[in-house]
Amino acid sequence: MSEPLLQVKHLATEFQTEQGLARALDDISFEVNAGETLGIVGESGCGKSVTSLSIMRLLPKPAGNIVQGEVIFDGQDLVQLPADDMHNIRGNRIAMIFQEPMTALNPVYRIGRQLGETLALHNPKMSKSDIRDASIRMLERVGIPAPERRLKEYPHQLSGGMRQRVMIAIALLCNPEILIADEPTTALDVTIQAQILQLLKDLQQETGMAIIFITHDLGVIAELCDRVLVMYGGRIIEQADINTLFDKPGHPYTRGLLKAIPRLDQPPKEELSTIRGMVPSLFDFPPGCRFQNRCDFVQERCRQETPELETYNDGQQVRCFRFRELVNE
Amino acid sequence: MTQYFIRRLLLIVPTFIGITVLVFVITRFVPGGPIERMIAEVQQASMQAGGSMQSAGSGVGAATLDEDQIRELEKYYGFDKPVLVSYWEWLLKVVQFDLGTSSRYSEPVWDTIKERLPVSAFYGIVTMLITYFISIPLGYYKAVKHNSHFDHASSVVVFIGYAIPSYVVGIILLVVFASNLEWFPMGGFYGDEFEDMESIWQQIGDIFYHAALPLLAYVAGSFAVMTFMMKNALMDNLAADYVRTAIAKGIPFRQAITRHAMRNSLIPIATHFGNNISVIIGGSFLIEKIFNIDGLGLLGYESIVERDYPIVLGVLVISAILQLLGNILSDICVAVVDPRVQFR
Repeated sequence: MSEPLLQVKHLATEFQTEQGLARALDDISFEVNAGETLGIVGESGCGKSVTSLSIMRLLPKPAGNIVQGEVIFDGQDLVQLPADDMHNIRGNRIAMIFQEPMTALNPVYRIGRQLGETLALHNPKMSKSDIRDASIRMLERVGIPAPERRLKEYPHQLSGGMRQRVMIAIALLCNPEILIADEPTTALDVTIQAQILQLLKDLQQETGMAIIFITHDLGVIAELCDRVLVMYGGRIIEQADINTLFDKPGHPYTRGLLKAIPRLDQPPKEELSTIRGMVPSLFDFPPGCRFQNRCDFVQERCRQETPELETYNDGQQVRCFRFRELVNE
Repeated sequence: MTQYFIRRLLLIVPTFIGITVLVFVITRFVPGGPIERMIAEVQQASMQAGGSMQSAGSGVGAATLDEDQIRELEKYYGFDKPVLVSYWEWLLKVVQFDLGTSSRYSEPVWDTIKERLPVSAFYGIVTMLITYFISIPLGYYKAVKHNSHFDHASSVVVFIGYAIPSYVVGIILLVVFASNLEWFPMGGFYGDEFEDMESIWQQIGDIFYHAALPLLAYVAGSFAVMTFMMKNALMDNLAADYVRTAIAKGIPFRQAITRHAMRNSLIPIATHFGNNISVIIGGSFLIEKIFNIDGLGLLGYESIVERDYPIVLGVLVISAILQLLGNILSDICVAVVDPRVQFR
């Protein structure tokens, strides 16, 4: 494979809070190849959403700032790109959908206007009727019945699943090369969730776009993704292709997450395994490995030094001193 | 929707009757009504004439007005009938646009009100326009520049304007700019030469020349609420998910504000719109008093003090109708700006 589509290199993002500077992302590096689906998984506050917002440069200003690193897309560093050029990329070449379809659409404008806006923005020469036709076709593609009528409706007249479909339609209008999906199914019920995931898969097959899929749900990851990043405390702690991750999870945290999923082959009504302790706030992470205070395999070294993200067989990357001993257990 | 507003319009009738019955009954029972006043006046006149050596304490009316005269007066004012009967008679006249005759000026109430209404309406509408023209851009700018020096400095000014009662602002303005500096006239709606002015522009200029200080006093108090309502609404909306969506679409930040966040931020402003109309046209009797403006507020206040009930009720009729229509207007405004609002 040639050049990756998107390269994130040593990205670090900080937030100004009342307690001081909080480093929400620390030394994040990964690649996204054309046409693949990369999953980013982790608990709340691990930095997975901040990663996507950093790539899109949508961090809440002035609190959030990228302090280090590069995001290389099409030969340019998005971090350094002038605002005007960034406007041309957002919604056009890299699009994004969000967690809350209920609030992500502007309540006072009709669906048609919110779709057409994106098209008109990135294709200034497009005529009104062309925009309308393209909008209708797009709504059809995302599986919205009676699209002509929907164009004239307001967001509150649609259900949550329909609104998320509209969001997807808006995101895909300009045929983006990358779609960033930030927990797009978390707010939806399970049947709708399955429909949306299937829709994303189908659309990816049609368009060949890459998807960065952010979620805390390993089940969704298993269904959709080719490769997975596991994040903890603002750092990547494991990166692997989907089969490796589920067969041979490297990091004790990943193992903990996988064990915490109920399985059909387990005896029913048993207590689920959990990871002990709580995720500390960004200010309270222990020195050394950030997971050491919750890890079952902790050693003295883990408390002193920070492990690096090392690459092992099959390109699996793990940030753990004891990976080699643990993997053979 | 149309049905809803027709129903709302019809509901004005019972509400209006409720308000006026209440005030009508109160005017009946409050001491110091027009007859008692007249008795007192006659008493005073006779005492000044020096003809009477009777002590002031002996019997209220007996000294000056006999029973027949009082009965005649009661008949004239309709006090001889039960409250509800005379209310009904009053209401029948009101429906025919006859508000009765002022007991103080002895001229039709409607004429008196008609004279003052444009004055109060002028101040009300101009104040409202200025308030909106200041508050909306100021609130917008404060929200965008939240926590900047400009934001803090303007907040101080806005809060000072809000904290000082408008009549105090009026007095300060009067003392500084009219009395000491003599930049502006001391009061009145227009100058003495108004009638002789050649062009309408000169006349308009003269009105605004006289209106500058009172308008400042009106505006100083009213734009704080509106400015902060605008700022807070806009800040809420700037943090809203759909603004992030708009930016993720590739819309520049400024346009995301003007196209997306502004429209939603105007909803609370629109809710206030109708109320403002009714409140403002009523005028503030304190400011009207300070600047010697013959407006509706002053008229209402004076007629209460003088127990000029036909005028009190006349002013009430006008302001009640404005208030009721204003409420409906508010609802229409909200329905226009917010598609989620559905009136059934």
